[in-house]
Amino acid sequence: MKKSQRQLIEGYQAIEKELEICRKYGIDYSSRRGQWMAAVERLHPRRLKLKVAAIISETADASTLRLVAAEGYLPPFQAGQYINLLVDIDGIRTGRPYSISSPPSQTAYYDLTVRRVPNGFVSDYLLDRVKPGDLLDSTGPAGHLYYNPLFHGRDLVFLAGGSGITPFASMIRDVTDRCLNRRIHLIYGCRTPDEAIFNAEFLNRAKIFDNFTYDLVISDPNDNCQGLSGLLDAELIKARVGDVLSKTFYLCGPQAMYEFCVPELNKLNILRRRIRQEIFGTPARITQEAGWPQEVSEEAVFSVKLSSGREIPARACEPLLISLERAGIVVENCCRSGECSLCRVKMLSGRVYQTENTLLRKSDKNAGYIHSCAAYPLSDLEILL
Amino acid sequence: MADYEVVVIGAGNGGLTAACGLAQKGIRTLLLERHNVPGGCATSFRRGRFEFEVALHQLSGLGSKDKPGPLYSVLDRLGVVEELEWIAMDNLYRLAVPGKIDITLKADRESVIATLSEYFPTEKDNISAFFDLVYKFAIEFISTFREEKPTPENYPVYFKYALRNTQQVLDEYFTDPLLKQTISVYWGYIGVPPRSLTFADMSMLLFSYIELKPGHLKGGSQALSSAILNKFLAAGGEARFNCGVKKILVEAGRTVGVVTEDGQAISADYIVSNASTLTVYTEMIDPEHVPAEQLEILGGSTIGPSSLTLYIGLDCEPQAVGIKETTNFIGGSADADKVFNSFRQLDADDDYVLLSCYNLSDPDCSPPGTSQIAVVDLKYAEPWLELPPQQYFDKKYQAADKLLDKVETIFPGFREHIEEIEVATPLTHMRFLRTPGGAIYGFDQYAKDSNMFVSPHSLIKGLYFAGAWAGSGGFQPTLTSGFTAARQIVKDIRAKAEVRA
Repeated sequence: MKKSQRQLIEGYQAIEKELEICRKYGIDYSSRRGQWMAAVERLHPRRLKLKVAAIISETADASTLRLVAAEGYLPPFQAGQYINLLVDIDGIRTGRPYSISSPPSQTAYYDLTVRRVPNGFVSDYLLDRVKPGDLLDSTGPAGHLYYNPLFHGRDLVFLAGGSGITPFASMIRDVTDRCLNRRIHLIYGCRTPDEAIFNAEFLNRAKIFDNFTYDLVISDPNDNCQGLSGLLDAELIKARVGDVLSKTFYLCGPQAMYEFCVPELNKLNILRRRIRQEIFGTPARITQEAGWPQEVSEEAVFSVKLSSGREIPARACEPLLISLERAGIVVENCCRSGECSLCRVKMLSGRVYQTENTLLRKSDKNAGYIHSCAAYPLSDLEILL
Repeated sequence: MADYEVVVIGAGNGGLTAACGLAQKGIRTLLLERHNVPGGCATSFRRGRFEFEVALHQLSGLGSKDKPGPLYSVLDRLGVVEELEWIAMDNLYRLAVPGKIDITLKADRESVIATLSEYFPTEKDNISAFFDLVYKFAIEFISTFREEKPTPENYPVYFKYALRNTQQVLDEYFTDPLLKQTISVYWGYIGVPPRSLTFADMSMLLFSYIELKPGHLKGGSQALSSAILNKFLAAGGEARFNCGVKKILVEAGRTVGVVTEDGQAISADYIVSNASTLTVYTEMIDPEHVPAEQLEILGGSTIGPSSLTLYIGLDCEPQAVGIKETTNFIGGSADADKVFNSFRQLDADDDYVLLSCYNLSDPDCSPPGTSQIAVVDLKYAEPWLELPPQQYFDKKYQAADKLLDKVETIFPGFREHIEEIEVATPLTHMRFLRTPGGAIYGFDQYAKDSNMFVSPHSLIKGLYFAGAWAGSGGFQPTLTSGFTAARQIVKDIRAKAEVRA
């Protein structure tokens, strides 16, 4: 409607006057330049610049990197969250998510406890080549394995396997250091007692604090093993925990542990909402996974065409993200386990295998979106990137 | 020649319809988006076995093939209507105020009048009269679009009531505050209380929802965003994701291109920004190129509310906790000003809350035997911005806890069934939407901020806006705004071509 007509609406002039006054005494938004995103950055910085302050040996194959802020400050996190540590190794830019093992109340540093993965590209680098004073980049804290007071209750059971202990270390330290009103029962499965990270500290904390119980369970006991042994099965869990139905279970460990423990918890009729887990990493041998097409061999290499027209090779047995990284193409990523969706790309043609844990949405499937960190090429691909 | 005729910044609702509308007219268009998927708020995310709809609650203006609304024609021209599976909701909403009222209104004029009359028998005649007014107003309003020169003589109801505030009209027709509250519940979809909401906005909301029914679609809003993107690509449009824009280049009062976050300069004759006007004028264009008058125009508006939103997956069917409607409003003080005041507090007792349970409209929106729920409480960003970061998580849970208590009063046992819950605060919205204050509807929608008084046109030539900040918030307005921007640009390009010819 033209202004000549609009003006005839009852009340038009009064509002026009109001607007004139609002503008005359208005807000100078130009003085707020940068203010909004700065507030977000304080909580969720996209990148952290970290410096290795110390390296603490934990076990024969695990050490803690104590990281301080090289610039700015360390943002708050929720005990159990991880950062994706970004590294340049021999010209390849890649990353690995590591849970922060120090508690959130320790604002001076983040501890990342790294255990050596056999033939691990990044863990070898962190354990063998990184030294105090070195600078590292990372994402901000992320992840969903943390205490949610809205529905987790006050009785928690942690089932940990191997290096999956690290998020729990943060939670245990948080709850005991700050005397929070929560009870934790940690059941920690390790192959041998020597592999148990933080063992001495947990024993000590369990002695001091009534609300923390600690069970170390050894799967390959030798003859003079005194404590618990075996697997974290229904029988053991029931025997150690007692009233299992009122507790919330958190799981963290290698993939095999989830495959074993979740059915065991189901045997105990634990409700689904009382089982919290976060997957770390992708399967060691993807071609052994259910649903992998037999006709695609582990050695197969396909070609991936990018928007620029460039083509890069991609091995069937490696996530697409890694092939992109090998080619020097940086795709934002964080969990590297198929969950967080930061590495999502649109596939214009081709086929991929995606791990069972990949959290795809209905629309992703319909529109061809894949999580490149957990998608394995099964044919030549064309992607929008 | 420029690299592109048009660069569209941002693939939210407005950016998508702008880009698609342009490409389909043969305009060389580049769509740049910071995130890795299209949609902006019109998206979804996964937690556990749930996929959560981020923003769409009740789509307005759609209608059906037989009775198309204004949004239908926009989406139809883009070619996406036929591809998507639309759902029409039979009911408007349930309003439950503990101890005061529990009422469900159908999306049907006669039924709304009958139900309200049953609850408020002494105001029966006024209820009929009020809806007569709403309908007269709406029909006149729609007719004015076809007129070159509408006048108060031809359209008396429109010219009398369009800018009147809703509260005034409610007071004129009704005495019971509870009735006024029941009828004006939808003010939460605009974000200003009835005292500040124009009757035009209120009546068009009611009319449109009653006549065309509130809508939804299978796959949620991401299905719509993805469909528009695909149409854009099919029309020859080019899109880059993970590609934010940090600068809009202006020379001699005209846009000439953009610079991406990774430093690439791209030239273009026109820019459509789906990023907010505030961000564009204060951060993306060098200050010497921003006319003082443009900043003065901005300064007359205030940043609208964001929200505290809970995305919840329940391990039971909705009926198990008494949820029978898709859209539930839980009050809240009957005094809308008190509710509005609660927008500025971290948590408050007067909050009035929207709880949407999509399963009632689309049983496939979560796994069998579960429910997908969104609880929304409008909140301004300020108190959240003032929090020290170290207190953020605790405050977030405290505020969410209070909301859940409120939900529990209407749906007892609700909390016991939570399997997943994600809490989004105004800071969360700010992080993902990158709008000032995490605002979800753009500027506060006072009468003075509507397009009737504020032109969406930029003083900088070649620069256009799409999305909530260029007009008003919500799916229908933002989707429409982009399509309108595209048409204006096409018109401008053709006019220039004619001059050259």
